[in-house]
Amino acid sequence: MTTSVNAPLSARGKLASAMPAEQLAEITELFALRRTGYSLDAPFYTDPTIFKLDMEAIFGQHWIFAGSVAELPEPGDYITVDYGPYSLIVLRTDEGDVNVLHNVCRHRGARVLTEAAGSTGNLVCGYHSWTYSPEGNLIHASAPGEAKFDKNCFALKRAHSREVAGLIFVCIADVPPADFDETAKIFEPYLAPHDLSKTKIAYQQNIIEEGNWKLVMENNRECYHCDGHPELACSLFPTWGLTEGLIPAHLEEVWDRNKEAQSSLEERCRRYGLPYEVVEELDTRIAGIRISRESLDGEGESFSADGRRLSKKLLGDLRDFRLGRCSMHLQPNSWFHFLGDHVITFGVFPINEHQSLVRTTWLVADDAEEGVDYDLEKLTYTWKQTNLQDKAFVELCQQGAASPAYEPGPYMKSEYQVEAFINWYVQRVQEHLA
Amino acid sequence: MIDVLTETPVQEPQRIRGLEMPWNRVMGSIEGPASAAKALGPWHPQEFVAECVETVPEAGGMMTFVFRRCDGAPLAFRPGQYVNIAFPVNGDDQEPVDRSYSLSSSPTQPWTFSVTVKRDPGGLVSPWVHQNVRPGTVLDMLGPVGAFHLPDADRRARYLFLAAGAGITPIMSMMRTIHSLAGTADVVVLYHGAEAGGFAFHRELAYIASVDSRIKVFYALGDRGRPEDWEGFSGRLTSAMIDEVAPDANGRQVYACGPEGYLNSATELLRKVGVDDTSIYMEFFSGDRQTLLEYQAELALAADIAGEIAEDIAESAEDYFESQPAAFGMYEPGYDEDGTLQATGLALEAVGPEAPAAAATPAPAPEAQAPDASSFDTVGTGSLTLSFMRTGINVRIDPEEPILGVAQRAGVRIGANCKEGMCGSCKVVRLSGEIDMNHQGGIRKREIDAGKFLPCCSTARTDMVIDA
Ligand code: FES
Ligand code: FES
Ligand SMILES: [Fe+2]
Repeated sequence: MTTSVNAPLSARGKLASAMPAEQLAEITELFALRRTGYSLDAPFYTDPTIFKLDMEAIFGQHWIFAGSVAELPEPGDYITVDYGPYSLIVLRTDEGDVNVLHNVCRHRGARVLTEAAGSTGNLVCGYHSWTYSPEGNLIHASAPGEAKFDKNCFALKRAHSREVAGLIFVCIADVPPADFDETAKIFEPYLAPHDLSKTKIAYQQNIIEEGNWKLVMENNRECYHCDGHPELACSLFPTWGLTEGLIPAHLEEVWDRNKEAQSSLEERCRRYGLPYEVVEELDTRIAGIRISRESLDGEGESFSADGRRLSKKLLGDLRDFRLGRCSMHLQPNSWFHFLGDHVITFGVFPINEHQSLVRTTWLVADDAEEGVDYDLEKLTYTWKQTNLQDKAFVELCQQGAASPAYEPGPYMKSEYQVEAFINWYVQRVQEHLA
Repeated sequence: MIDVLTETPVQEPQRIRGLEMPWNRVMGSIEGPASAAKALGPWHPQEFVAECVETVPEAGGMMTFVFRRCDGAPLAFRPGQYVNIAFPVNGDDQEPVDRSYSLSSSPTQPWTFSVTVKRDPGGLVSPWVHQNVRPGTVLDMLGPVGAFHLPDADRRARYLFLAAGAGITPIMSMMRTIHSLAGTADVVVLYHGAEAGGFAFHRELAYIASVDSRIKVFYALGDRGRPEDWEGFSGRLTSAMIDEVAPDANGRQVYACGPEGYLNSATELLRKVGVDDTSIYMEFFSGDRQTLLEYQAELALAADIAGEIAEDIAESAEDYFESQPAAFGMYEPGYDEDGTLQATGLALEAVGPEAPAAAATPAPAPEAQAPDASSFDTVGTGSLTLSFMRTGINVRIDPEEPILGVAQRAGVRIGANCKEGMCGSCKVVRLSGEIDMNHQGGIRKREIDAGKFLPCCSTARTDMVIDA
C-alpha cells in the first residue's frame, strides 16, 4: 500500500452551514425519521438538496474508489474522475505515486484536463495556459507587468489518495476517515494475489443510469432480483443470498451442488493460501466492506455460460483457474469481482440526484492477447447484459420514487445488505450533520 | 576430514520471476542481434553435418548419441524440438533413410547436442543406429523442427510434463533446460514406463529433482511388470493420478509425449481435471499415415527454409510413408482443439517480436448468428431436440424434462421467477413444436394462442424451435 503524498487543500463552503436553519432542520428530521428495514423516503432519491448533502457528507468525506493501477500504469498517466460537482485528476507521478488534484484551474476555474484518461507531463490549462507540475504547483503563468504575482499561492488543490492491492482510492476531505487503513488490511490479502499491477484494461464501459446513486448501490446489494439476470444466472448459483432453511424445494438440488462447489473451492483456497472467509462489516465500520470468495456454477472458473475461463492467462501468481469469484463491496461507491482469469471493477459516480455514471472495467493479464487468449465479446458478455438489466431495474425504481404514490417498502430477509448500506449511509450523514 | 553433512536448514534460492530462454532478449532487441547471439537463436532450421562424439547407453533399450556440428557452430533449437537425420542404412553409396528424433539435450548447452534412440528390434533404422553410429560417425541433418516446445518466455512457467516410454526424450530436454536456467518455475513430471528397470534418464531425473526444488518427478508403471517393492504409481494414467501429482493441473501448461493411445487418453483425462484444450501440447510418437504425411510436409518446409529443397523427400511421399515402420521416432508437431492431427507448420517464423499475432476468428455474438439451427452446437442427450434460435444452440432433452432447467443449464437466456407457472417471467415464443404445459395462471389464453408458453412448467412432445 502506498500512502498519500499530498497535504489536502480543499475545504470550502459547507452546505450544511450555508443552508437556512429551517431547511436544515427539515432534512435532519427526515434522516431521524428513517424507518429501519424500509426503503428511503422519496426525497432521498429525488431532492437536489439531499443530493448536495450526499456529495458533501458522503462523497466529500469518505474514501471513494476511483480506478485501478491498470488505468494509470506509467508515470504521467492520468484519469479524470467526476462526481457531483467535483472533478479530480488522478495522476501517476514520476516517483510512481498517485497524485490527486482538483481539476479546477486556479486562474478562473476552467477544467484543466478535459479527457477521461490520457498521459501528460505538466498540466496545461487550455484557457490561458497556466501550467502546473504533476504535483500541482503552478510553474508557469505569463504575467507581463505583474510585479506582485506569486505563483506559490496558486497550486491546484490536492486531495488524498491510497493505493491498495492495485485499487486507487481518493478522498477530498481535509482529514479522511482513519479506519480505511484497517479496511485495507482486510481486503488486501484477498486481492493481492490477483496482482492488478500486471493487468491491462480489456474493456471499459460507462453507462449513465437514470437513477440516484443510492438506488444503484442498493440494487447491487441483493440478488433477490437475480432472476432478471439470465446470463449471470449461469455463473451465480440460483441460491445466492439464501441460507439453510430458506431453500425452496425446487432449488434443493442446486443448493447441494452449491455446497459441494463451495467446499472444494475452500479446499483449493487452503492449498494455495488464499483467504475465502466472508468478512461483512457493511455498516459496522466507517469504511464499510463485504468481501468473500465464493464458488461459481459449472466449471467454476469464470463468468461464462459453462463456467469455463474467458481468458487463457492466469492473473498474478495464481496457480489454478478454478478460484470462483472473490467479490468485494465497499461503501460508498464500488464493487468488484476478482477471478482467476480476469477482474471486473465497478465504480458509481453520481451526476445529480437522478443520474449516475456506472463505470465497469474488465482487466486481464497484461500479456493476454485479444483474439488469442481472450475474445472480447465473450469476456464482456455476461456483465454487459447484466449491467443493462440492472440499469433498467434502477430506472424503474427512480421512476417509482418520483411518483406521489411511492412510499417506502420493506426490505426482505435476503435484502439485509441493502439495509446495511442504507443504515451506513444514514449514520454517516447524521454524523456529518451533528 | 570435512564434514559436509549439516542439520541446518538451507533457505530457498531467490529467483527472478518466470522463465526466459537465453536467446529471448536477443530476439526482442530491435537493432538485430549480434552475430554470436544470432547463432544461438533458434530462428531457422538448417541443413548441417554433425559428427558423433559420444554414445551413452540408457535404460529401457535406449541409447543417447551426442553430436557436434562439423562447422563448429552451436546448434540452436527450442527444448522439445527434433532434428531429421539421414542414416546411410544401406551403405554410403545408397540413398540414406531419414528419421526424426527429439533432441534430448538442452539448448543451453549448445556446443553439443544429443538425440536418444530407442531400439526397436523389428525396425529398419534404430537397430542400425545402435549398431553403427559411433564417435566419429558423420551424418547429414536438418533442423531444428517442431512446434512442440517450451515458450521463449513464460512468467508463469508452471508445467505438467507427461511422458510415456521413449516420450521422455523431448521432455528430458525441457527438464534439462529448466534446470539449467534461473527463474521461477514449477514443474511436475509424471513418467510412465513399461517395467521398473526401463526408465531412461531416471538417475539424472532423480538428481535434478533432489537439487532443484522447482522440479518434482513421479514414476508410474503400466499394468504389467510391477515388482513387489515398487513405490511409484501403478496402472495406466488416470485423472486421479493427475490430481494427485498436480492438484493444480488446471492452471498448468501440459506437455505430453508418448504413443498415440496414451496421448488420446491423456487428452480426455486432462479435460476431466479442467485443463483447457489450449493449454495442452502434444507430441505423437506413433506414426500413422496422417501423421507421417504432415510431418513430411513440415520437413519439406524446413528444408525449403534451410535453403534447399529436400527433393527426395518431397517427391516420394508415398514411398516414404510405406517405408516407415510404425512406432519409430515420428513426431506430430501440433495438436489442435478437436483432438485431430494437423500440420502446424513451423512455429519458428511466428515468434519474432514484430511477427503479427495469429489471426483468430472471434466467435460471433449469439444475436449475430444466422437463424439456421443446423449450424448450431448441440448439447445434452435425449430423444428430442430443442433449437434456441437467438442463443444459437440445440439442446437435446427427454420428453419428461421441464424445458426451462435444461435450457438455462445450456446457457439459454430465459428469466424465471417462480418456476411453477405462476409469475409468467419465463414466457417465450414457440416457433414450432408441441408442448405439454401445466401452468398456474402465469399465462393467458390469448398469449398461448399467440404461440407463447412457459418453459418452467412445460415438457416437449416433439422437436421444437424456440425464440430464445
Ligand atoms: S482558467 Fe485556466 S488559465 Fe485561465
Ligand atoms: S513550453 Fe511553454 S512556451 Fe514553450
Ligand atoms: Fe442485478
